Amino acid sequence: MSVEFRDVVKRYGNATAVAGVSFTVEAGTLVTLLGPSGCGKTTTLRLIAGLELPSEGRILIAGRDVTNLSATQRDVSMVFQSYALFPHMSVLENVCYGLLRSGIAKAEAAARARDGLKQVGLDGFEARQPSELSGGQQQRVAVARALVLKPSVLLFDEPLSNLDARLRRQMREEIRELQRSLGLTVVYVTHDQQEAMAVSDRIIVMNAGLIEQQGGPRDLYERPATPFLARFMGESTPARGAVRRLDAARVRVRLGEAEIDVADQHAADGDATVAVRPEAITVEPAPGPTGALAGKVAKASYLGTHMEYSITTAAGTLFATCPRVERPLAPGAAVALVLAPRGVIVVGR
Amino acid sequence: MSRPALAWSVAGLLAAVTLPWYALQEGLDSGVWLTGLWSSDDYASALGQVAALGRWWLAPVLLALLACVAISLPPLPRERRGTLLLWASGIGLGLLIAQALGIGLRGWTTNWLTALFGELEARQFGIGAGAAVILIALLSLLSIGLALRGAFGGDAFVAGAVTTVAASIVLFTAWPILRILLQAFQDGDGAFMPALLIDRLSTEKIWSLRCLAGGGRCGVAWNTLFLAIACGAGTTALGLAFALIVTRTSFAYKKTLRVLTVLPIITPPFVIGLALILVFGRSGLVNQFLEWSIGVPPTRWIYGFQGVFLAQLFAFTPVAFLVLIGVVEGVSPTLEEASQTLRADRWATFSTVSLPLMRPGLANAFLVGFIESIADFGNPIVLGGDYGVLSTEIYFAVVGAQLDYGRAAALALLLLAFALGAFFLQRRIVGTRSYATISGKGDSGLPSPLPDRARRAAQWVALPWAAITLLLYGFAFVGGLVKVWGRDYTPTLEHYAKAFAVETTADGVIWSGAAWNSFWTTVKLAAIAAPLTAALGLLAAWLLVRQRFAGRSTLEFATMLSFAVPGTVIGVAYVFAFNVPPLEITGTALIIVLCFIFRNMPVGVRAGMAAMSQIDRSLDEASLTLRGRAPQTLMFVVLPLLRPAIVGALVYGFVRAVTTVSAVVFLVTAEYELATTYIILRVINGDYGLAIAYSCALIVLMLAVILLIQLAVGERRLGRRAPQAQGGRA
Repeated sequence: MSVEFRDVVKRYGNATAVAGVSFTVEAGTLVTLLGPSGCGKTTTLRLIAGLELPSEGRILIAGRDVTNLSATQRDVSMVFQSYALFPHMSVLENVCYGLLRSGIAKAEAAARARDGLKQVGLDGFEARQPSELSGGQQQRVAVARALVLKPSVLLFDEPLSNLDARLRRQMREEIRELQRSLGLTVVYVTHDQQEAMAVSDRIIVMNAGLIEQQGGPRDLYERPATPFLARFMGESTPARGAVRRLDAARVRVRLGEAEIDVADQHAADGDATVAVRPEAITVEPAPGPTGALAGKVAKASYLGTHMEYSITTAAGTLFATCPRVERPLAPGAAVALVLAPRGVIVVGR
Repeated sequence: MSRPALAWSVAGLLAAVTLPWYALQEGLDSGVWLTGLWSSDDYASALGQVAALGRWWLAPVLLALLACVAISLPPLPRERRGTLLLWASGIGLGLLIAQALGIGLRGWTTNWLTALFGELEARQFGIGAGAAVILIALLSLLSIGLALRGAFGGDAFVAGAVTTVAASIVLFTAWPILRILLQAFQDGDGAFMPALLIDRLSTEKIWSLRCLAGGGRCGVAWNTLFLAIACGAGTTALGLAFALIVTRTSFAYKKTLRVLTVLPIITPPFVIGLALILVFGRSGLVNQFLEWSIGVPPTRWIYGFQGVFLAQLFAFTPVAFLVLIGVVEGVSPTLEEASQTLRADRWATFSTVSLPLMRPGLANAFLVGFIESIADFGNPIVLGGDYGVLSTEIYFAVVGAQLDYGRAAALALLLLAFALGAFFLQRRIVGTRSYATISGKGDSGLPSPLPDRARRAAQWVALPWAAITLLLYGFAFVGGLVKVWGRDYTPTLEHYAKAFAVETTADGVIWSGAAWNSFWTTVKLAAIAAPLTAALGLLAAWLLVRQRFAGRSTLEFATMLSFAVPGTVIGVAYVFAFNVPPLEITGTALIIVLCFIFRNMPVGVRAGMAAMSQIDRSLDEASLTLRGRAPQTLMFVVLPLLRPAIVGALVYGFVRAVTTVSAVVFLVTAEYELATTYIILRVINGDYGLAIAYSCALIVLMLAVILLIQLAVGERRLGRRAPQAQGGRA
């Protein structure tokens, strides 16, 4: 079922957490609310859940106005960051809880709860206490508990932030798999842009209580509309440069002595802030080919799969990743940077 | 259609037809009112009062209920129905309250109303069952209206709970205290005379400072203040010494010291005073020994400031200990370790890090000692002699030959001003700065041991003191087992027999002991009050911690404030507020139960809030998103995790109800006599044996009840590896 926000505002006293937000989540899709901490994404999620009621605006779920309905009266369920498993109940009792509160008979509730646990691969764990499970298993119980209610909308509040890196990748794949196979409508909150790109059909990026940009993962990464977004999606560093329009679809960007032709329809001529993606920079020992940007290594870190460099150039300090680890460059080394056009984005003045 | 709104409107209308509006002399269970529901002046229901007896001012209430039925039935948008309900029930409530205050025993209660509407022949008694049910129904409808409009998270239960808690605090704490204020300005006939308060408060007897200049006595206000400051400072110092010994030294008998904290909670507050009389009184051990050995004639040395001060110091030090042990434990060991790694030795660490961190806690302990002292009635009346304090002075103004309510009110106001003054001063100085750091994260540091100097000082003060305290309790216990203390030390059980004799005759068992009547009354009323106190306290705590609503901080402040109001003030206030219509309950058991509940609720609130803030909020929210409505969430998730707090609130509610003196001393009657007031009277009459025997029986009773409650509520069942409730994180 779809979720629709119409000019929703949420204030706490003088502080405004959500400052007028409108969006639609299509039925059967997974949409991520992405943004730095304090941007209002969790408040937005809680507004969908009914754990907060908006100060202004309307909220519709499946076409029905639910603006002033409490959480219990809405057909949504939520997976919490801390999982919020009831510590005084067994795994089965936890999964049964929502079914019993909906007035379903005990035997039937238990059967459906077992099905739900099977779906997340936890059959055999019914009698355990939550504290006897690992973090990943607790996460699955929380998912099963929300899933068995067959809600119109399933909400995830930073569900993976308490897991270690390896488990995080596995769980996010499982969540996406479940969402696709069951055709669920899911709203997912995270501050990790990689996680958001991996699981989402669409991403809504929020900043300071407002929507910064929304679209598919590829749109946002390749065509960020604002400097904030360019910085937030991918670790690109903003550089100072100059822009000159070549034709309707292309501009020539000058960074230091380097000149790169980039696809762009909006940028005006003159000085500009330019985001350079770290993976679009090829680091060569100086002097390098003509048209390369000269620089000097400021910091170098060895990460096993690749090197990370901070490089001081005439256009500012750039952050670059380099897959060649066998011959690392030491700080102080003079280098030449070759910039690939797809990773150079004009983001504003 | 809105079913809950319809149900409440219909319930209200039913009460308006089938229950008598006014309170009955005979009580509801007599049944005499059934035949007079329509036309009897005393027994008629609201409908009867309006239609048959011409009390037109009750009509708007009925109309409001009818309007609510009409609003509940047709299909309406939520917000619209909410707004309409809000208006209908709000107007109904407003007019109900206005008529209750405007028309009293002698027609209109104020002159301008008479001028406006003309003389009114009719009189109104206190409201009864019908009015009470209608009042509740209207309040519920108001809450439903608010919830429909999206207030309180759109949840009618939360809205109802907030309204209930707020309304009951207004009715049973704020209103009585407001009445004191009014009473202090009124003369004997109820006329408003602002100058009278100044008159009443500016007498020599209250403010004289002659004792400082030598000769003569000081006024009761100064007496009260001196005593309270001495008591606050003394108990804080002693309590700190105890707390440091228990937490920061390797003292071997820590467990025994902890027992000291339980004793004053389960003993009536004047037991220590009694024990002091047994040791230092005219026929006490010390005087007798001095007379026997060196022929000094017995003196009344103990009666006066020194006696009351000693008794309060013994009685309230454990309370300060209880406050300070949490404070001392709350100082994060990591901070002390940090200080030590920064080249500070133990003494420097203690004096520059640990002590300053404890400062807010020390101020808190002082405040508690101060307020306990000015609220104490038992010890001053037993040991005070000529040294009068405000609480005893108020008592004599109300029950003594003077019977001067205005003076009592003025004195109560002064007492209240002292208490609130201390309360605000403490908040001002300490503010919300609390450095005590007990976080969910494990603090792996070890508390550093006390520096030698501090340790020795603490031990030299605290340990002899603990020994004397235990000794006094021992004497008190023995005092009940000898014939006449000071003259005849033959062991006997006759005091117990006199108090608790049971005879079996042909007619069955006769409870012939002198104490049984007050004993059963106490047990019954305390048993009624305790669960209500706990329920209301925990409900309020849940609202304050878990719900966000307009006026939340006001509500929290109100509950905090009522904690600072001395019992004597509450007692007097209840007498003033509830012996005239609209709420006429003086002399009933109900007023005593209400007094218990609202006197002890604030502690339940604090305990509940502390316990609840340790439970991860997302557990509640998870239940809400899983179709659990607010009451179900409370029932299945919050309460099972709150078991320790429930036990605490129940025990406290019961124990305080049994041991309280200051508030109820004004409310008891021959019919509803309480154990403590009975004992006080025995003491005043010099019948120490019986008084002590009875006190010991009470202590045993309370120990039994504590065990019983512990068994009944049980432990909370959590997973084996997670001792704290934190969302089941491993």
